[in-house]
Amino acid sequence: MTTLRAFTFNFDICYNNYGIPFYLQYLAHWPEYFIVAEAPGGELMGYIMGKAEGSVAREEWHGHVTALSVAPEFRRLGLAAKLMEMLEEISERKGGFFVDLFVRVSNQVAVNMYKQLGYSVYRTVIEYYSASNGEPDEDAYDMRKALSRDTERKSIIPIPHPVRPEDIE
Amino acid sequence: MAARGHVQDPNDRRLRPIYDYLDNGNNKMAIQQADKLLKKHKDLHCAKVLKAIGLQRTGKQDEAFSLAQEVATLEPTDDNSLQALTILYREMHRPELVTKLYEAAVKKVPLSEEYHSHLFMAYARVGEYKKMQQAGMALYKTVPKNPYYFWSVMSLVMQAISAQDEKLAQTMFLPLAERMVEKMVKEEKIEAEAEVQLYFMILERLGKYVEALDMVRGPLGEKLTSELQSRENKCMMMYQRLQLWPECNALSYKLLLKNPDEWQFYLSYFDSLFHLMDKSWSPPNEEEHCVEGPVHTTVAEAVKFVVDRMEEEDKKDSRPLRGPYMACLELIHRLRQRGCPDEEELGDPLELMLQFFGKFGDKPCCITDLKIYLHLLPPEQHTQFENRLGELVPLGEVGEDGFGFPGDTKALQRHLCVCQLSRVLGLQHTLDTEGKLCLITELKAHYHYGLQFGKSCLKTELQFSDTYCLMVAHVYIDLWTETGDENMLWQCLGVLEEGLSYSPSNAQFKLLLLLLFCRLGAFQPVVDLYSSLDAKHVQHDTIGYLLTRYAGSLGQFAAASQSYNFSLRFFHSNQKDTSEYIIQAYKYGAFEKIPEFIAFRTRLNQSLHFAQVRTERMLLDLYTEADMELTEEHRRLSLEEESVWLKVRSLTLRLLASLALLGHAPSKRNSDKTNENGVSAKSSTLQTLLSQLDLTLQTAAQITEKQTQYPFLGPPSSRLASALSSGSCHCQASALQLSLTLQELETTGLDDSSELQTQICNSFKSLIVQLQELLSRCKGDVLEMKDSRLMTQPSLLETLVFFVETVCVVLWVASYSASVLRPLKSSLQKKKKKKTKDSSTAMPVVLSGFQEWTGSLQGIVTQALDHVKGQEASLTALKLAALTLGVGHAQTQEECGFTRAAMDKVQTSYLGSLQELGDLLRKRADSLKSLKF
Repeated sequence: MTTLRAFTFNFDICYNNYGIPFYLQYLAHWPEYFIVAEAPGGELMGYIMGKAEGSVAREEWHGHVTALSVAPEFRRLGLAAKLMEMLEEISERKGGFFVDLFVRVSNQVAVNMYKQLGYSVYRTVIEYYSASNGEPDEDAYDMRKALSRDTERKSIIPIPHPVRPEDIE
Repeated sequence: MAARGHVQDPNDRRLRPIYDYLDNGNNKMAIQQADKLLKKHKDLHCAKVLKAIGLQRTGKQDEAFSLAQEVATLEPTDDNSLQALTILYREMHRPELVTKLYEAAVKKVPLSEEYHSHLFMAYARVGEYKKMQQAGMALYKTVPKNPYYFWSVMSLVMQAISAQDEKLAQTMFLPLAERMVEKMVKEEKIEAEAEVQLYFMILERLGKYVEALDMVRGPLGEKLTSELQSRENKCMMMYQRLQLWPECNALSYKLLLKNPDEWQFYLSYFDSLFHLMDKSWSPPNEEEHCVEGPVHTTVAEAVKFVVDRMEEEDKKDSRPLRGPYMACLELIHRLRQRGCPDEEELGDPLELMLQFFGKFGDKPCCITDLKIYLHLLPPEQHTQFENRLGELVPLGEVGEDGFGFPGDTKALQRHLCVCQLSRVLGLQHTLDTEGKLCLITELKAHYHYGLQFGKSCLKTELQFSDTYCLMVAHVYIDLWTETGDENMLWQCLGVLEEGLSYSPSNAQFKLLLLLLFCRLGAFQPVVDLYSSLDAKHVQHDTIGYLLTRYAGSLGQFAAASQSYNFSLRFFHSNQKDTSEYIIQAYKYGAFEKIPEFIAFRTRLNQSLHFAQVRTERMLLDLYTEADMELTEEHRRLSLEEESVWLKVRSLTLRLLASLALLGHAPSKRNSDKTNENGVSAKSSTLQTLLSQLDLTLQTAAQITEKQTQYPFLGPPSSRLASALSSGSCHCQASALQLSLTLQELETTGLDDSSELQTQICNSFKSLIVQLQELLSRCKGDVLEMKDSRLMTQPSLLETLVFFVETVCVVLWVASYSASVLRPLKSSLQKKKKKKTKDSSTAMPVVLSGFQEWTGSLQGIVTQALDHVKGQEASLTALKLAALTLGVGHAQTQEECGFTRAAMDKVQTSYLGSLQELGDLLRKRADSLKSLKF
């Protein structure tokens, strides 16, 4: 059980994975896409952060999952699924065609979880992740799930050839 | 090609190479290129600004600034110059100059939407809300777009928030903002959701909850679509503010039916229910209770509601939700608070909690959930509860060592949960020493057994059994604090080192190790741990302060200054970042976030408090102990203590700085009488600072008299108490006081000042006595072996640092003394030469006294160096390998290895500290030589 609330910019930030500017940027632009889950004792359970982007004309307007994080002691409770569901709902309301996310190809646990939630691999992005020294580190899967506006589910037809990070929008 | 609509400005082409050089960090070439260009095109202002950027980035701030001002006074209106100046000013941390720039540009080009909007943003960067309001309106009048109008409105709200006078906010700024929005509403010009949110913010701040509620429920509220349940959440907030309990209850009920796991709505459901009961509320008519639907007004209804929710979960095939079961315990808790007998209908808390454990015991969060409701169990049930829980943990056959182990990670998690609960219930604390040692053996066995489940774990993952290891460490700490047996501490360090070797990313291990090493005064391993924690961003503030507390005080000056730099960089960059995103929030209409950003910035700026509260929380999070209560009183005292310490330090710093200032202007003092005013102004600063220091030290003495003992995992006590008791504060203060007397001598001269001179000489002597005493407190062994046990005395190290600091302060005063006495002496010699016949002029007391003083100082420093050398030698001679570890307890060879490694770290760190202290002392001793005349 959880209290789901909007991210407020104060102590929440202390559990961060990214720099403060990164969060500020998202909060300034897409505050509705930033949701925090809190346990009854006040512990932070996890959060999701995302954005809406892409061209409507080209049917590429979509929701994007930038970060999804659940604290170790609150895993296997279905919290990630709940947060993803909320992000999808927000994207539905914004009239998005799909929701997408990037995940390390090696992160089988996450890939499987997203598959269970209805996501499929749309394409592979070569060397999307880089190590802290700037060297290319690992490929990413670009995974997508069609929303109701994409009635023919065109947006999720896989692209067979891998792409480079500079070629994605 | 010629027909292309957009023709590139030739200046753009000319400037391009300079931009490129700047982008690539080649500032020298950028400057050269700009010079070249300026030879041909004298009036290409932007080139000047770009050159200034190059200069700024190569450290020539003054040149850069004057060059920039050349252009700025011309009030440029070309994009290139304006943007380049904006960048430059930002890098110079002079955002206020950007506002001047665009104020001029807007005057010259009053119809430019772009310049108006830059002006608005420039004001936003410096927080000029009033001017933002005007700039927003001017912008709207130039280009009537809604966002501009609402920028202006938001700036009014910011004026209200920042107003010192709440009355002004309530009677002027907010009503004005409200009227501005109402005007748009009447004209049906409201377009965006952000505008509605802002309207809501205004009404809420005005306390116009009824109006806010009507607005959210009305047509404007329909625009609130981005956030999930935005309307419902806002309604709920207003119901609570307006104490509309029927609506609050009905809405909570509705939302819980939809999502029975939303904890906040259980709380509002219960809150409203009891409010309604207290008022004996009854529905106005049978059909409709209120606009939000049916209302619950009796305990029976609530009990049924909760029981139904639990039954729903029981029926489900999928994973059950925790919410309803927790709600049941919460309801019991509330009924009990009210002395209401109906709780029995929900069941026995003990059985309910066992049930909860049965369902969720294999989840790590089970402990945090149940912890909140343990108080529902009477103490006499605790052991029974522990035993019943144990029955629900499937363990294997009991082996030779008398323990049975879990067969998989789920069983392990259950077992862990029981162990943790027994600690939280205080059952572990009641054990005697023998019992605790047995507990350690058991937990260790489980820890080692459980490691097999995590063999395939990545380095970044935690081991399933890490928590056992952490619990062992805490029982060791209990034993150490109870018995004072330092062996317990070494074993604790050993077990944590072992844990870290299997689970290198466990932050809790690292934080606890960090804390223990700090307490031991061994700072070197702390630096490694901190960097491996990969502390990010705010954590520099929240954990970093631990480092800054200990680094300096333990003689690891290099590490200390590094960690200060970390923190400073963090604070500086955030100052800038936050402003940038406040501007972004305006652009995207995220008005609700703006006050939050600003509050965050303020918080960082007032970080002493922030740091402390957070660190306490983080350290508390390490482990929650039943008997460890960090009270509000502790927090307050700790903050008070730290603040006073900060004051002592900053006053000392300011005193030294003003001494330096006085010492640098020695030439004019004899000849130039007109300068007296200046000198006396400075000396009165010195006097003021000294009396402030005196007052602060008095306060400090009162605080330390209380001798507050903080819990082990609470905040570390500040350096204040030991600074006072070692005598270092007093000695530093009297040294600084001496400088004031010397100033007096400077004006009086040598001839008529015998009393003053005697006074100074007495101070010289007294300082020597004080330093000698301080040094004697440093004597002893920081680390020694006794009966094959390793003993530490980290406080000796801290005292030694105080000694060195104090020596430094005294030497500062000594060099100031020399700068005062030297000219007096030489003028004396001149006089002597004139009256060669008169040989009776003896050397003035103060001069001989000074000579003697520097000699004694030299002697003390030599003594101190000998002591440091002696300590270094005895530390190096300590052969830790000779220690027989694990006497009395079954410690494996491997475990002994980890303990020894921890001991090694402490030994090496002490050596490092001593070396740095020795180096510093030697350097200072050199400076002493130059003081003789």
